[in-house]
Amino acid sequence: MKRLQKTIAAALTVLLLAVLFCIPAAATDGFVDEYYRLMDMADVLSDTEEARLLNLLDEISVRQKMDIVIATTDSLEGSDIEALADDLYDYCQFGYGENRDGILLLISEEDRLWHISTCGYGITAFTDAGIRYIGRQIKSDLSDGNYAAAFQIFIQKCDEFITQARTGQPFDKSTLPREPMSAIWVLISLVVGIAIALITVGGMKAQLKTVRFQPEAKNYVRDGSMQITQSRDLFLYRTVDRTARSDDQDSGSSTHTSSSGTTHGGGGGSF
Amino acid sequence: MTTLQEYKCPCCGGAIAFDSKLQKMKCPYCDTEFEMETLQGYDEELNNAPEENMNWDTAAGSEWQEGEQSGLRSYVCQSCGGEIVGDDTLAASSCPFCGNPIVVMGQFSGDLRPDYVIPFKLDKKAAKEGLKKHLEGKRLLPKVFKNQNHIDEIKGVYVPFWLFDTDADASIRFRATTTRSWSDSSYNYTETSYYMAQRAGSIGFNHVPVDGSSKMADDLMESIEPFDFSEAVPFQTAYLAGYMADKYDVTAEESVERANERVKRSTEDAFATTVTGYDTVTPEHSSVQLHGGTSKYALYPVWLLNTTWKGQQYTFAMNGQTGKFVGDLPVDKRAAKLWTVGLAAVCSAAMFGVAKLLWLLGIL
Repeated sequence: MKRLQKTIAAALTVLLLAVLFCIPAAATDGFVDEYYRLMDMADVLSDTEEARLLNLLDEISVRQKMDIVIATTDSLEGSDIEALADDLYDYCQFGYGENRDGILLLISEEDRLWHISTCGYGITAFTDAGIRYIGRQIKSDLSDGNYAAAFQIFIQKCDEFITQARTGQPFDKSTLPREPMSAIWVLISLVVGIAIALITVGGMKAQLKTVRFQPEAKNYVRDGSMQITQSRDLFLYRTVDRTARSDDQDSGSSTHTSSSGTTHGGGGGSF
Repeated sequence: MTTLQEYKCPCCGGAIAFDSKLQKMKCPYCDTEFEMETLQGYDEELNNAPEENMNWDTAAGSEWQEGEQSGLRSYVCQSCGGEIVGDDTLAASSCPFCGNPIVVMGQFSGDLRPDYVIPFKLDKKAAKEGLKKHLEGKRLLPKVFKNQNHIDEIKGVYVPFWLFDTDADASIRFRATTTRSWSDSSYNYTETSYYMAQRAGSIGFNHVPVDGSSKMADDLMESIEPFDFSEAVPFQTAYLAGYMADKYDVTAEESVERANERVKRSTEDAFATTVTGYDTVTPEHSSVQLHGGTSKYALYPVWLLNTTWKGQQYTFAMNGQTGKFVGDLPVDKRAAKLWTVGLAAVCSAAMFGVAKLLWLLGIL
């Protein structure tokens, strides 16, 4: 109960702040357009960055017929970032058309968390694997405090993902754009290479050593002399060890229902 | 009279108690549960295990007959003190152990007469071939080492061996396990079942050889095994003609320990092959009783070559009966380094290439 109150309180604070980003102008076709698509409540962007990103968001949102929204907040004050992102999306009436198609990226600066909330066609276009992929692309810039760069990447990726989804084949686990091969493979190759070299040279050295004790005398067993007169097998006890399975992430999009009853998809992480 | 029966936990060794709730025996230390019958059976086996007993009759060899030793001379090496026996045709020669000249010490006398001898079956030419083959195809062998061998110095030596025959009665307890794995949606499970397998029975060994000369490295002599005793003949001094013979200076009593070790290990191995149907089998307790143990004194044929290279002595030995050739060789450290670095570079590059290919194919 306390938790819910906290969430509501935080949501109200964020929404109150969001009023600042209210647009006075009239709505364009399909969009409610009550709020700006960039709500920098944590004030992490400069004015020029803000203007540039907002232009970009508006252009792509209108072109793709889907709201692409970015919001930042100082702190979650202990509430759940998923609920907050969903509420922000719902109460600001983002989304295109009947199904409120769109996607919102919320960053909490102090908690160092990011969350993407999707709605309507956004749920189809951004699968769970796709959201994790976008998270990986923006994580390093977010960690370094290059918020403008991270948002720029986010916007570009949204454009790509929506274009891809319109072909009827949204990016998913198996069809995601390839990330460059990880540098860890250089290290793994080196380790494997050195190990093979050491084993091979060890084998060559072993060829040079032929003198060793014979631990047993099996060559001298009298033929057919072995007789087993007593044989007994007894079960004693058993032990069971269990280890947690690594969760095999499925493809597709998982959804949940926000406090206002709207269905959202999404996912997030820390940076 | 009642005795208080105390059982030990087969899992952790702690004293175990009856749990009235479970109606089972339960270990208070490791919480493992057991059926009463299991523990009784286990305890029975623990108490049945007989004491180790490995004794031998080590009266091997016999007395020389009169006149038999007259053709034999004793030679001694001035450098290493090695003492060998040869017939009087053995011209000025060098020590088979260290390569230095040997001198005639006098008429051979004393010691026991060997019971058997396996005559040399392979000649000096075969021994030289054996050495050549031994040095072939070894990449890390320094090249000059091949050329600097005094291959003509290779010598045929009869090496004294104590041969032990015995029957072994063994009772061996093995700890065996089987494992089974399965998974549900959130966990992987591995179940390990522990069993006690007890085997008792007998096994016989014939002519287990132990090197009776302290001059001969024991590991070198064991490395050229096995010798086929079926080709052994009763000892005659005539067999020594043209060859050297080493005298035993380690008694049968001193050698029996080594035979026991090998017999015990072989008995365990042989019995372990009858414990089947398990994933792991480890001997837990073994008791081996040897009886009818007898020993014999025999001379076995060995071709020997000693070589000194860069201040270190290398000894090669060839089984004069089967042709098995052994001898540790020096390692060319520079070549080893080059091979390591080269191989590491090539293998790393190949591995990276494969990884890159798999990545391009979308498998990685």
